[in-house]
Amino acid sequence: MESHPPMSLKILLIDTDAGRARALEEILCESGFAQVVRVPEGAGRIAAVEDIKPDLIIVDMALPDRDALEDLRLVSSGHPIVMFAGSDDPAFAEQAIDAGVCSYNLSGVPLQDIKPIMASAIALFRRLRKVEGELAEAQARLEERHLMERAKALLMQGRRMTEPEAYRWLQKTAMNQNRKLAEVVAAFVTQHDAGTDSHKGKGRQP
Amino acid sequence: MNAPTSSSSGTAPKLRIGMLRLTDSAPVVTAHEFGFFADEGVEVELAVEPSWANIADKLAFGALDAAVIVPPLAFAVQLGLRGVAQPMLIPYTLSVGGVAITLERELATRVRALGESDDLDPLPALAACLRQQPLTLGVVHAFSTHNLLCRYWLASVGIEVDRDVKLAVVPPSRAVEALREKQISGFCAGAPWGEVALRNSVGHSIAGSQQIWSNAPEKAFAVSARWANQHPEALSGVLRALHRSSRFCDDAENTAYIASLLSRRRYLNLGSHAILASLPGGAETSNGCVFHRGAATFPWRSQGLWFLSQMRRWQLIDDSIDLRTLAERVYRPDLYRAALSPSGESVPRADWKVEGAHAAAWSLDATPLPIPMPPDRFCDGTVFDPDALPPLGESAMPIRARNNGNDATR
Repeated sequence: MESHPPMSLKILLIDTDAGRARALEEILCESGFAQVVRVPEGAGRIAAVEDIKPDLIIVDMALPDRDALEDLRLVSSGHPIVMFAGSDDPAFAEQAIDAGVCSYNLSGVPLQDIKPIMASAIALFRRLRKVEGELAEAQARLEERHLMERAKALLMQGRRMTEPEAYRWLQKTAMNQNRKLAEVVAAFVTQHDAGTDSHKGKGRQP
Repeated sequence: MNAPTSSSSGTAPKLRIGMLRLTDSAPVVTAHEFGFFADEGVEVELAVEPSWANIADKLAFGALDAAVIVPPLAFAVQLGLRGVAQPMLIPYTLSVGGVAITLERELATRVRALGESDDLDPLPALAACLRQQPLTLGVVHAFSTHNLLCRYWLASVGIEVDRDVKLAVVPPSRAVEALREKQISGFCAGAPWGEVALRNSVGHSIAGSQQIWSNAPEKAFAVSARWANQHPEALSGVLRALHRSSRFCDDAENTAYIASLLSRRRYLNLGSHAILASLPGGAETSNGCVFHRGAATFPWRSQGLWFLSQMRRWQLIDDSIDLRTLAERVYRPDLYRAALSPSGESVPRADWKVEGAHAAAWSLDATPLPIPMPPDRFCDGTVFDPDALPPLGESAMPIRARNNGNDATR
């Protein structure tokens, strides 16, 4: 396989987060990797990869498009196709997975040339992911609260409880079943939705 | 409900299971949410992944211990066909059927109209349409049951991939959008995506796995050999929990309950009615998912071998690989029996069976009691006898697989 000096590698970034892709492009360009290509979001995105013919693809693991990407002749005929196959450093691949970024090495560029590029991507993804994690946590707390409000409303309406009574009932159920309050609340709402979902009526508890 | 008290004790073995947003993940989600795994003393973490590629990579690098998987992909991970190899075991089958072939509305209407005069079989009608005008159909990952079933079906009426039809990989969650934007004219994917296309008025399902191979195995529970060897007791517990869940999921009385569970944001994140359609007792009576009836949970080695023989047919695996040995190594009915026989569950006596031999319901030899089985015919009437695997090249049609460069990487 022909070898490239690392500086002339053509790197393709596939990422839904335009800001993150731009940041990574900057980092790589600053270190002298001149040929960085970003494909924009859109219908022909995956097909465009075959025209670009990159040496290395760096892709956000949160994208379902990876399955389509792996079907491209360009990608599927490469010989380790994904994630540093043949590398003696599985820990490095694990770090990449953990950060949510993955690469396809298409032209047999030596691994030692790819490692620093991937290390930059991993660091960037990790930093941005922390922010994302905090956001997801906040959203999960919001959903829990929303479910709690619904459960209380159902109890107040269906069983004519007051709001404190409804809350105590849920709390007591959780204690009796030795489960988390949030779990009991979610199960209660799910079961209620299932009951009204079809004319068949209530789903049986296991 | 039994309280899962042991899960927080810290000594419980931990199992990380990956899954996609598909209806047939139901047994795993249900076992998790109802505490069936916890009852067996196993702490399970469910990870909903966006792609089969993620499932394969995370299994390969140990970021997942197990997955709800399409069996051909488990073989690909075992062999290292798309990256690093990781030995896998399939001790349990999670679902049968549930795959739909959905066409955009206009094409579906044309195929149906043609089919009316042809004994209602949509395949010759679709073939006629494809011969007039080559189209692109979406399948999920190259190493999926959908790709293999779709190719088998089309080849049975002489449709050549690349000449008469182009198969493109489209992730199921993108397929409805791709159909609406006319990037594809149809797709073959698991539930609930055919129903989602119907509900969004972009497509109609014209056939399903039932018409290609009736009672076709779909998702398997695959676990890394490393985890299984480290935790043999826990693995038995996991299989018991799954079996309890498979029974529950197969009961039409529980359908609405399971649909709303799966519809939650952290799982399928879709309306529960689209999910409900393909569950037992749902509107989709012939092409719905089956979770327990007819020994649906048993990991038949003959079915593993069928997948492998189709992978070879389309040149997805190397000719030098001994398929029978590989099917035996990955498919593990012995582990299934060890976990479920002691509870008095009826378990098939044989590890292999002839596939496609039954046009009508039949009875399977099992202990302690025989199991009633549904028909299991292939669309072309072929009988697949695992003891008589056709010699190399016999089934090789003049059809080129797209992934023919995927030979061994090490």
